[in-house]
Amino acid sequence: MKQLTIALAGNPNSGKTTIFNNLTGARQKVGNWPGVTVEKKEGIVKHNGVELKFVDLPGTYSLTPFSLEEIVARDFILNEKPDVVVNIIDAANLERSLYLAMQIMELDRPVVFALNMADLAKSKGFSINGAKLASLLDLPVIFTVGNRVKGMDLLVEAAVKEAGTSSKGKAGRKVTYHRDIEALIREIETAMDRAGLDLDNWPGRWTAIKLLENDEVVKKNLGAMAPDAAKGAANEVLAVAERARFKIEEQFQDDPEIVLTDERYGFIAGIVRSVVTVTARKRADISRSIDRVLTNRFLGFPIFIFFIWAMFQMTFSFGAYPMEWIDTGVGLFSSVLKALLPSGLLKDLMLDGIVAGIGSVIVFLPNILILFFCIALFEDTGYMARTAFLMDRIMHTVGLHGKSFIPMLMGFGCSVPAIMATKALENRKDRILTILITPFMSCSAKLPVYIVLAGSFFAQKAGTVIFGLYLMGVVIAILSGRLFRSTLLKGEDAPFVMELPPYRVPMLKSLMIHMWDRSKMFLQKMGGVILVGSIIIWALSTFPRDRVVMAEYSQYLDQVATQRSEIVAQPGAENQEDLLKEVDFRLADLERQRDKALVERSFIGRLGHLIEPVFSPIGIDWRAGVALVTGLVAKEVVVSTMGVLYGVGDDQTDALDYALHASGMTALSALSMMVFVLLYVPCIATVTTIWREASAGWAWFSLFYTTSVAWCFSFLVYQGGKLLGFG
Amino acid sequence: MNERHEQEKKQFLKLLAQEGVDELDKRFQILESFLKSENHETCREIQATLEQNGVFLGPGFIAETMELLCRFGFAQKLKIDDGPPRYEHRHLGLHHDHMVCIKCGAILEFRDEALERQQVNLAAAYGFHMLQHKMEIYGICADCLEKSTLPVPLSRTKQGEFLVIKEFEGGKNAQMRLTSMGLRIGDTIEVVSTQHGGQLVVAHGESRFVIGQGLAQKVMVERSAHRYPPLPAGEAVGHPGGHPGVADTILLSQMRQGQQGVVTRVSGETRLRRRILEMGINRGATVYVEKYAPLKDPIELIVKGYHVSMRVEEAAHISVEGVKTVKNP
Repeated sequence: MKQLTIALAGNPNSGKTTIFNNLTGARQKVGNWPGVTVEKKEGIVKHNGVELKFVDLPGTYSLTPFSLEEIVARDFILNEKPDVVVNIIDAANLERSLYLAMQIMELDRPVVFALNMADLAKSKGFSINGAKLASLLDLPVIFTVGNRVKGMDLLVEAAVKEAGTSSKGKAGRKVTYHRDIEALIREIETAMDRAGLDLDNWPGRWTAIKLLENDEVVKKNLGAMAPDAAKGAANEVLAVAERARFKIEEQFQDDPEIVLTDERYGFIAGIVRSVVTVTARKRADISRSIDRVLTNRFLGFPIFIFFIWAMFQMTFSFGAYPMEWIDTGVGLFSSVLKALLPSGLLKDLMLDGIVAGIGSVIVFLPNILILFFCIALFEDTGYMARTAFLMDRIMHTVGLHGKSFIPMLMGFGCSVPAIMATKALENRKDRILTILITPFMSCSAKLPVYIVLAGSFFAQKAGTVIFGLYLMGVVIAILSGRLFRSTLLKGEDAPFVMELPPYRVPMLKSLMIHMWDRSKMFLQKMGGVILVGSIIIWALSTFPRDRVVMAEYSQYLDQVATQRSEIVAQPGAENQEDLLKEVDFRLADLERQRDKALVERSFIGRLGHLIEPVFSPIGIDWRAGVALVTGLVAKEVVVSTMGVLYGVGDDQTDALDYALHASGMTALSALSMMVFVLLYVPCIATVTTIWREASAGWAWFSLFYTTSVAWCFSFLVYQGGKLLGFG
Repeated sequence: MNERHEQEKKQFLKLLAQEGVDELDKRFQILESFLKSENHETCREIQATLEQNGVFLGPGFIAETMELLCRFGFAQKLKIDDGPPRYEHRHLGLHHDHMVCIKCGAILEFRDEALERQQVNLAAAYGFHMLQHKMEIYGICADCLEKSTLPVPLSRTKQGEFLVIKEFEGGKNAQMRLTSMGLRIGDTIEVVSTQHGGQLVVAHGESRFVIGQGLAQKVMVERSAHRYPPLPAGEAVGHPGGHPGVADTILLSQMRQGQQGVVTRVSGETRLRRRILEMGINRGATVYVEKYAPLKDPIELIVKGYHVSMRVEEAAHISVEGVKTVKNP
């Protein structure tokens, strides 16, 4: 079956993603472009017996090799040579959009224009003569309204048809520069021919123009393109280009890039003038009016804070219901398993390892889903850009970018979606910086730990202590940010120049796809990692089984079990219920004691004793230390591990309180532990996400950095506290 | 008007007698003749008029009298370009300004209340107490405009005119010479000077060119639309507060909310400059400052029909001119 590759290109906010979703729907595959952390989306659709592979290129404003997205987009068109490029253009922004369009056209692939959101353009008071544009540039122009799924079929038809044509002969669609510049372009092309460079890969005229613009990537590849014998010739071409640049600078009194840009804009202005008519009617610009309120000097911030509050409120209160359901579900599931499975290792593995581990994390799925949904909502409506606009001043003084704010904020919910949200940052350094400091935003999984510890040791002041911890996280995040900015990730942060797209009513379908995409990734990757982690933790804490302890407790348990049957056998005793309850309680208690003893003698118990010296300077005993290690899987597991280690059931908070005190933990060491939990390596899911979004190297770095910082600050807190007499 | 003139005459006699000025009757004749004409006259013209009426007075005496008239507030001296001083009536209390046609020399008087007020406001904004001012607008009067809509050769234009190159009347060579200088059909040029033996010095943007008479005769030009685009009726509002005049170039970061300007130059390090350019902010683009963020940074702009935000420090790399406050972008 014939296969066509159709690339979708366009500015950010042009509605490209919506159209891509329309065309591919649920059949899209999301991944990364090879070797880079830029998202790649593909979808295959059958159309009239032809297989169409749609590739969504990153949204860019231009094709200069300055950002990863632009390089990816340009390389795809240059090297993969898609059969046709569909350029999605925001009809209300024709002039600016044509800047990218002209650059795409210079790459010599068949091109189709999709003038999207034409209805909005009309309401702004101008209309575009599509036919004239089509004839001026010699390519098909299709009007579409992406979020109402209009024009899709026409677009696909036009694309397929155009794919069959050749674009080499279409001269009318290229920007014609100033006579002198054209002459210089020809000079360079001639030099390239003379040098015998293999140009069938790249369009000659385009290469010449790029050389005039001093495009680093092209310059480098020029050398690569030349057969060995002609390396010198390649340098000759570069020299010719250099001379040409100098001439342009002399004649036009400005950088060649600027001159060429000006020429392009002049050309574009001409097209726009002849194709766009301004109608007298201009309805009120709703978007502007909305912004008068949302970014208002006085109302802007309060409204912003309200939206954030609403986001967290939704996440935790709406999320609470499904959380409970899932919790109950998991509970039911494990009771069923408990009843069905024969006693033994497998049962334990299933229940205590897999179900418990995954269960404790899956319970958070609703929260994560809602967070993703809120983010999708912000992005699709256009409000996300306004948040960056409002917060940039503050973020910039801290060395960050306005767009870093929302990801960091999400870190208070869960680090995984937060780190994924850093995709919004265009500059790699900014992205990595934000990724590194987001874990310091105390995620919601750590809260149970604080509640237990602060509740036990700080009673009335627990709330204040917890607030203090959150604040500490933020402060350390900021300090780390500044530290990284001046050492590892040196350099100017990316320009803030950013479009504020008009507000739009988001399509539910888009939101859902958005939300589901990310969640699917979370479930697949994290699910796998967490599963493995849980099993390992379980294994470490189960083996080896101390036979002596097992035998000992078996005896006690048998004794109590016999007692129980005696009570049941006794007919009609008044306090039978109470007695039964008591016996059951003792049974459960004995089991817990046995488990506690077993774990103490297992690998993980030994590990705990082994690392005790590491933890003692910061006031944490081996049990808490073990709990912290298990926290690698997920932070909630810290609490359940402590429960097991102190021989206390999940629902016996008072008992845990007592047990903690009894083990010699003090308020100071509790504080030290909480600081450690706040700062140390985030859960394995987060580390995996960092691996994906940054690199393996950064993931390891994050691991070491956070743990070291945690240890240092816990040390400060503990020893400092002791010095001050709080010990 | 005549009443006023009578008033003036009476005052003149009284005042000058009081001051003990000599030859009062002869000076009175000069005053009378002066008051009769509504023109702005030079001493020579006054002398000529007097002679026509049979009064013969020496130029020195006339000049001295005119100075006296100025001193006592009956006349006002106008020094226009490089001509001899002209005198006009000074009716106390009612100041007016002038427009001068550089083609035919006509001098039009006008008085614009808003302008007068604006000047007072402007001075006040600088903490300056204005005592008096003088304003002359140079241009082409309506009559002359009517007469010249056809393209004329560049050689026949005057200093200070703004012209658009329309055609070439000459061979390829002439065209080439002009193009190689960087001048093309459609370019707007300003005539810097015309006096040096037929040679013209013209300016295009910031560059200067010397065009010999031969070439100048072959270049056909038309008067350009106004140098500064006429302000849409009723919408342009002056802005007090220390801003440089319309023609000056300032930085985008110095513009206030509600102002609009045209970009002249984008500087800065490559990445920033690229970014600014690819967002459509290039030379010639109109930018409008929609608002500043609540924390005074960043700025929201409207350019090429859409909204862009950037930090103040980034906006400082963009130079704009023609800054004015508008109601709607």
